[in-house]
Amino acid sequence: MKLFPLLMIEFVAFLLIILETYVFFTLVVPLGPIPHTLTDYTTLALLKMFLILVLGALWFIVLDGLTRLYVRSRVRSAPRPSS
Amino acid sequence: MITWLEGAAFILALAAPFFLLLGLFPSYLRALTRLGRVAEDAHKSPPTKVPMPAGPLLFAGLVVGEFAVALGFRTLVPVAVAAGAGVAFAIGLVDDLYVLGGKTKPLLLLLAGLAFVSMAVLQPTLYRADIYFPILGDTAPHFIIYTILAVAAFPVVANAFNMMDAFNGEISWFTLLTSLALLAGVTLRALFQSGFSVSRVASTLPLVGVAGAFLAYNRFPSKAFDGDSGSLMFGAAFAGLAVTGGVEIAAIIAIVPAILNSFYTLSSVRGFVERRKMASRPTYIGEDGLLHASVEKDAPNTLVRLVLLTSSMTELELVASIVALTAVACVFSVATSVLTWVF
Repeated sequence: MKLFPLLMIEFVAFLLIILETYVFFTLVVPLGPIPHTLTDYTTLALLKMFLILVLGALWFIVLDGLTRLYVRSRVRSAPRPSS
Repeated sequence: MITWLEGAAFILALAAPFFLLLGLFPSYLRALTRLGRVAEDAHKSPPTKVPMPAGPLLFAGLVVGEFAVALGFRTLVPVAVAAGAGVAFAIGLVDDLYVLGGKTKPLLLLLAGLAFVSMAVLQPTLYRADIYFPILGDTAPHFIIYTILAVAAFPVVANAFNMMDAFNGEISWFTLLTSLALLAGVTLRALFQSGFSVSRVASTLPLVGVAGAFLAYNRFPSKAFDGDSGSLMFGAAFAGLAVTGGVEIAAIIAIVPAILNSFYTLSSVRGFVERRKMASRPTYIGEDGLLHASVEKDAPNTLVRLVLLTSSMTELELVASIVALTAVACVFSVATSVLTWVF
């Protein structure tokens, strides 16, 4: 099963999409008390945007890390071109 | 219950583009060859000449199918899908003829998204501004944020499809499988959510028909290449159908191989670079006639390179591997749709 490592990366991408949307809707969206002032509202909005960026970054970092690991292990064992 | 007119539109939406394209392809390809519109199939040894672009005929097929749905169901949903796909097709055709820059294309493709969402002025029910998630249900509607995301989705998805168009049969298999996953998602929604119009299911059928007919001519060894006009049009139609069908999450999961491909390429070449201008190639043809992954340090990490790192392959084996990865992603997509609409 040569494609198994790539299928695993694909499965991790799928799981992360599902898990991160779950985290987004159960933790990020209802975060904090209902804001009453503009300052509270802005702070909460900025915090939520920061957390969304963190979730996005996590997706990229995990998949980039897995891919680099896969490429490094394969390139090390790959035959070099003769030319 | 659907009327006889709607039933006829359902059948025509799939059958008309499929049989029309199968019938017209031979003469269209002969005309392209006569006009000298051929491209080199670089992965053959020696390279062969293949008629290109098939995009105009593919777009015509899509329009015929969507027109049938628009007439049968008296809705503007298929018109909006065709409008977005049409703008992407036009941009792709310019790229086929004159070659656009790596940054110009994604920026211009925003126009496809704008053409699509502007149809909401004529039909306010074109899309719903909430997103449904597996098990959790739907979010509160956020019209402005959703509309901005819908516009942004067009260049992202169209480019992702475009980057899956490198080998014989790759784009046609990819579009067929992902559009079938999309069709499954929209059908499940229509079956399990009351009040959801079946016209949105019918709207996805022309893309399935076009991709199916194109596969007959694009599969290995290719007799036709779609060009950027075809691949960008496929991507824009897919994005439009995901939005009108309200199956965004399942659609994203179906195209995970293409998203990973774009993400790998962008992160390894650090930005938008036209593929013809990449400094280092991700793959090469060895003296054995097989495709090999480049072991150069600065070679872009495309999906194809990642697959070829498992072993050197023929073009047919490579495309079969990519089809297998796409098929698995589509199974995940259907599972997501089941979790969203059935449970």
